[in-house]
Amino acid sequence: MTALIRPLGALALSALAALVLSVALGSVTLPPDEILAALGGQGEALSRTLILELRLPRSLAAFAVGGLLAVAGALMQVLLRNPLADPYVLGLSGGASVGALMAMLAGLGSVLVSGSAFVGALVSTLLVFGLAHGRGGWTPARLLLTGVVVAAGWGAVITLMLAVSPADRLPGMLYWLMGDLSYAGTPWPPLVLLAIVCLLAVPLGRSLNVLARGAMQAAALGVSVRRLEWGLYLAASALTAMAVTTAGSIGFVGLVVPHMLRLLLGNDQRLILPACALAGGTLLLLADTLARIMIAPEQLPVGVITALLGVPTFLYLLYRSQ
Amino acid sequence: MTIRISRLLLTGLVLLLSVAAPASAEVCAVDDTDREVCLAAPAQRIAALSPGATELVYAAGAGEKVVAVVAYSDYPPEAREVASVGSHTRLDLERLVTLRPDLVIGWVTGNPPEQLERLEALGLPVFYIEPRSFEGVSGAIERLAILADTEAEGDRVAGEFRDGMAALAARYAEAAPVRVFYQVWDEPLMTINDDHLIGQVLRLCGGVNVFGALPRLVPRPGEEAVLAADPEAILAGGMGEENRDWLDHWAQYPQLTAVARDNLFFVPPSLIQRPTPRLLEGSRLFCEKLERARERRGALGS
Amino acid sequence: MRRLEARELVIDVPGRPAGRALGVCVEPGQMWGVLGPNGAGKTTLLHTLAGLRAPRRGEVRLDGRPLAALKRRQVARQLGLIFQERHDGFPATVRETALIGRHPYLSPWQMEGAEELRLAEAALERLDVAHLAERLVSTLSGGERQRLAIATVLTQAPAIWLADEPTNHLDLHHQAGVMALLAEQAAEGCAVLMCLHDLNLAARWCDHLLLLYPDGEACWGPAEAMLVPEVVERLYGQRLATAWVDGAPVFVPVR
Repeated sequence: MTALIRPLGALALSALAALVLSVALGSVTLPPDEILAALGGQGEALSRTLILELRLPRSLAAFAVGGLLAVAGALMQVLLRNPLADPYVLGLSGGASVGALMAMLAGLGSVLVSGSAFVGALVSTLLVFGLAHGRGGWTPARLLLTGVVVAAGWGAVITLMLAVSPADRLPGMLYWLMGDLSYAGTPWPPLVLLAIVCLLAVPLGRSLNVLARGAMQAAALGVSVRRLEWGLYLAASALTAMAVTTAGSIGFVGLVVPHMLRLLLGNDQRLILPACALAGGTLLLLADTLARIMIAPEQLPVGVITALLGVPTFLYLLYRSQ
Repeated sequence: MTIRISRLLLTGLVLLLSVAAPASAEVCAVDDTDREVCLAAPAQRIAALSPGATELVYAAGAGEKVVAVVAYSDYPPEAREVASVGSHTRLDLERLVTLRPDLVIGWVTGNPPEQLERLEALGLPVFYIEPRSFEGVSGAIERLAILADTEAEGDRVAGEFRDGMAALAARYAEAAPVRVFYQVWDEPLMTINDDHLIGQVLRLCGGVNVFGALPRLVPRPGEEAVLAADPEAILAGGMGEENRDWLDHWAQYPQLTAVARDNLFFVPPSLIQRPTPRLLEGSRLFCEKLERARERRGALGS
Repeated sequence: MRRLEARELVIDVPGRPAGRALGVCVEPGQMWGVLGPNGAGKTTLLHTLAGLRAPRRGEVRLDGRPLAALKRRQVARQLGLIFQERHDGFPATVRETALIGRHPYLSPWQMEGAEELRLAEAALERLDVAHLAERLVSTLSGGERQRLAIATVLTQAPAIWLADEPTNHLDLHHQAGVMALLAEQAAEGCAVLMCLHDLNLAARWCDHLLLLYPDGEACWGPAEAMLVPEVVERLYGQRLATAWVDGAPVFVPVR
């Protein structure tokens, strides 16, 4: 247990620091005592609105979405036994995007757009799972191939929808596809889901370590491989669906954060999964803060910033590990 | 004629509303989503979340009350000095809230619904506008003037617009139809159908939009379709206010009637593509160009 | 003490018609060798006996109970499998790899403790890879990798050992060491069954043999009965010359 505590503690501290930074900074500068007063429910009404209604929910949502994507990426990499997997590789974000865009075309409100995105994600999950089912169940290779093809299919549908949509709907659709934390409503559902998954990471973590060495080897060591893989698939899909529904498809976090952590911390999933939650959340928090303030009042798409932050960091870690 | 009657009705409605309102200075108006928005007192700090909305608020006489605009709110020139809160597709809510508006003017299809819903949740009244007809433009100006308590100016501007459009309608009511292609954009090629505001202007001027019957408001025909339709006149804007490149592109097809008769007319986009009082000026330009096309027709004996 | 029994077992080799039903019983203390040419189905048989593949007909019993009816975790505590092929998806150290052998014994909330570490270290020591404990598995040679796989099963300490070509990649010294280790396990009461492609290794170390023919035929029994030149020649389709060294036969292919 102690081996887990030190790195997780360090990550938790940086997550907290990122959260503080995210709440303290914005396109409007507030003095620190105002911020503290607002957090305590006192202070001016405007400060309280800015901090409690605008910044804090958005920051919590950013942390939750970043954590969800990073954990989903880690789970997907174990499931497919492939370090190149990310949460979207099985077509889930494509399905969610199609659902959301259809709702936007129909002119539905934002709640229905989110709901539609979620349904789209579910449909995609079931579709890939059903199609990948061959004789004798599915293998990671088959799942990956099916998922990639389905994702490409969704991509084509999305392009078609963008081509035929009325001109005034287009900007909204494009922004949704780029991912944006300004859409996030209440941060509690994604936070709760993230907490539950991290809690489950400890008892299931060792089984995942064994599974990562191969299905046969895992079965020989007593792991119920089919059940675990099913569970992984559902968990990764649920996490990704929740993240995409909350903030659109933000890329890069789910692929690179698990890798970076593996370079630093090794391969024990009991450590990696909670670490992914913390590190992914931190990365997205920092990215969103920058996206909000860099050229305020213009707002940048957060997916661009995550790439700009993540790529050099990852390359540096890779270089150092050689 | 009909415009006069509807104006009377509207004035009656306004009077009724002001009588029915409580003794305090409450102002109410119905927005373009058919919601009634009521303010306890006339708006003093207005946020306009699209360039068109900004123009309409200034036209209503409430320009001094505007505290927040978005990117590209370039008309009238005073609007460029007002604080910006991002782009109309992605607002900086923090900055907007800090400017303490008491009325937010949103664009029905232009602003992100999630962000405007967040504003409403914070207690800010949001008034949605998006004129889709000439009456929609003048009506919007009048309703905004009610909310800002600048009815004197607003009604005047709205009246000018209405009268001007009515005059154009009367003048060209019997004009010989001219087959027209209006180009919104060049890559991809975009035009408008009859339901679009610009399509209504074309009809007003006695033009027949060659793509008017298409179902989409902003169709994207191919170049071949334009050649097949062989319009008598081509009207286009361009990138910016003075760029004739798009029209020059058609010159490579000398067989087009519009090219043969040199009926390639440039109209500055800002005069025709925003549903604001400047639409009157743009409509006058349109009608002028089409009249010129008719004159050329006579000269060639076709 | 555990015994593994194959009852009327017909293994499922895709594309091949059903072969002879096997009725083999691996008792504690026995060392079985499975011999046969390439493609005879040795690995398939091993995986079927381990419960990782379904047979075409018949069943496998562990201590009289059908393997299919037992939970995998239970089976893993009694049955260990040395694979012929390995997949290394994600980097891991040698020690971590040996430690996963304890997985069947630890409850989900339990972390590996001092006892588990001790068993793993002892196993690594026994297989002469303890000096590589901190190294990443991907940096090992073929032989070191093989010894690590065996050390993992030794950490698992099962009562039944199933080994698929346990001496692959090993030099003579380590070959002898591994076979001695397996013999030791048998002597201590484990049941050992291994697939071997080296006839002479089987002749030296196994007390029972199972011969698998490519057409599905099979025969089994005590080693002396099986190691008859005609039988063995028919198995491999190769003429052999026999010699006797140290009380055990040695077969050499004749040109």
